[in-house]
Amino acid sequence: MNCAECRENLVACVEGLLDREESLQCQAHLETCAACRAEHAAISSLQRQLAARGPTTAEVSLVNPVMRRVQAMQTERERDTIMTKLFTRWGFGLGAAAGAAAIILIAFLVFPKAQATAAEVMTKGAQAVAKLTTIHLRGQLRTLPADNFSYINADCPFNTIEFWKQFDPDLKWRVEKPQRVVVMDGQSAVMLIKNSGLACKVPQSTTSAFDTDWLQQIANLSNTITNELNNAIARGWKMSLTNETGADGRAKDIVTIEAKSGLPDNDYIKNSFVNTADTRRVYVFDNQSERLESVKIYLHATSGEKLIFWLDQIDYNQPIDPGVWKLDLPTDVSWWQNEMQKLPDNDKYASMTAEQIARAFFEACSQENWIEAEKFLRESPVDHLLKQELGGLEIIQVGTAFTSQASLDQFVPYEIKLKNGYDKKLNLALRKDKPTGRWFVDGGW
Amino acid sequence: MDLTDKEYVERCRDGHQEDFRVLVDRYQKPLFAYLAGRLRDGRQVEEAAQESFVRAFLSLKKLRKPESFYSWLLGIAGRVAKEQLRSLKHRQQDCEVTESIMANAADRREDYPLEEAIAALPESYRQVILLRYYEGHSCQEIATRLDLPLGTVTKTLSRAYALLRQELVARESAETTVNQT
Repeated sequence: MNCAECRENLVACVEGLLDREESLQCQAHLETCAACRAEHAAISSLQRQLAARGPTTAEVSLVNPVMRRVQAMQTERERDTIMTKLFTRWGFGLGAAAGAAAIILIAFLVFPKAQATAAEVMTKGAQAVAKLTTIHLRGQLRTLPADNFSYINADCPFNTIEFWKQFDPDLKWRVEKPQRVVVMDGQSAVMLIKNSGLACKVPQSTTSAFDTDWLQQIANLSNTITNELNNAIARGWKMSLTNETGADGRAKDIVTIEAKSGLPDNDYIKNSFVNTADTRRVYVFDNQSERLESVKIYLHATSGEKLIFWLDQIDYNQPIDPGVWKLDLPTDVSWWQNEMQKLPDNDKYASMTAEQIARAFFEACSQENWIEAEKFLRESPVDHLLKQELGGLEIIQVGTAFTSQASLDQFVPYEIKLKNGYDKKLNLALRKDKPTGRWFVDGGW
Repeated sequence: MDLTDKEYVERCRDGHQEDFRVLVDRYQKPLFAYLAGRLRDGRQVEEAAQESFVRAFLSLKKLRKPESFYSWLLGIAGRVAKEQLRSLKHRQQDCEVTESIMANAADRREDYPLEEAIAALPESYRQVILLRYYEGHSCQEIATRLDLPLGTVTKTLSRAYALLRQELVARESAETTVNQT
């Protein structure tokens, strides 16, 4: 191999794409040619720099929060009000606790007096817990015991949800509800779905994972205040302050925020997750210590208002048992492969529409052909709960796909008869996997 | 089928604001990496990244060269990061934590020219770099996704590396000149 051939094949060589003989020829040339060796070293160095970007950004997911803000701002920009001008001028919303004085100033200028005072109470609440080392939250959430951490359903009973977070000396956290737990021990985040015996791993330290963002936000009170006030200004959310005496005989400041998701009432995702719901959020602060003591979140559903989350225990800066950062996995745990594999006949599946995929998935479940069903799932192996629920089903109908403003998913309405005779009517959520080009089932079964 | 940045920007300007979602998806990771080179805290980086995208959306009509969307976005992010650091410094001038943050941010300044250099690449080269390193796809997966022969992908990568190195050297020498004057 001469220099020109070596240079032409250098990237393929570094990427491990050459066959054995070509690779050996390339290596042999590199050993004898200093110029090509230097070129090889330069490419490898650049690759290392680039490769370091992957782990840093693996969990980045800005699409939905940005689009929600964009939609809200799109409405607001038509009203060239003093609010918008102040917002831009102060660069509001940039730092977690940054610009507390500016927040209060803006709130006084923008809001009626009562709302400005509410903002002041929240800002002082943030200052009162500015140097947290640990926090422990315990609350009740209307959700399913094993479902997604942010899933809410006004018809579900309350399930206990608990959250521990250590800020110093290094970041660790744990979120747990009856059948689902995730532990981030400073090195990686591992989630276990207890009743399935399935586990999933994010192989690095992360500030949030597995849809725990909304709890992480509550745990970081400074951030909560910035977000809530930011939204209050940008979206015109109402804030109010009342005072009452608590059960402990101490004065309490109660801040109520009417939060709007910005989604239309007919959006399927609306009110399905904490961050896509219209809610009334009630923050109770102790007047003397200025610390947050409890939070209640009420869902504004079409059927009326319903309490969906109640945070009734907050422990600040208490030592956390090191055992909290350990997760005991069952000996027969199945690790979810969270990545779809390309199939030998991938093109056949990649060319199918969401509706066709939904039907093919149900047909595979109907025949209890789990090898085929797995082709429509991102996680493998197939969850045994899915097998129990959908095995032997009978398809009644599969409808036309629709979308939601708050999701990348497409939703296919379906009606099936389960083996136990139950008629199930719901919407199957499907999302496109970019590397394979195939739709996969993202929920709704 | 994936459209170019220019086409998505034009669609957003024409009222298809939902298409901005694709541009966020396309550049969220490199933007995050760029901001992580300037700011220390993950939450600050995320807030700054969100703010940068929102400001970009609100100013889309002012973008003169829609094909340069990513480069323009990095300019906005740079300003947002500066505001954030200034705000922190102003608020906590006497606080050791802030000093540590500023020192840490200064230490990491060498990280972000890479994203600027990527922004300077022609879109076809940039696309392959983003898919390979920010989305984590193998060359074979990129070939399948872009419907290109594998050899074309490796050649594109090879050319992209060469252009990146040229750009980084040019930036380094420009910085050295500025520092010497």
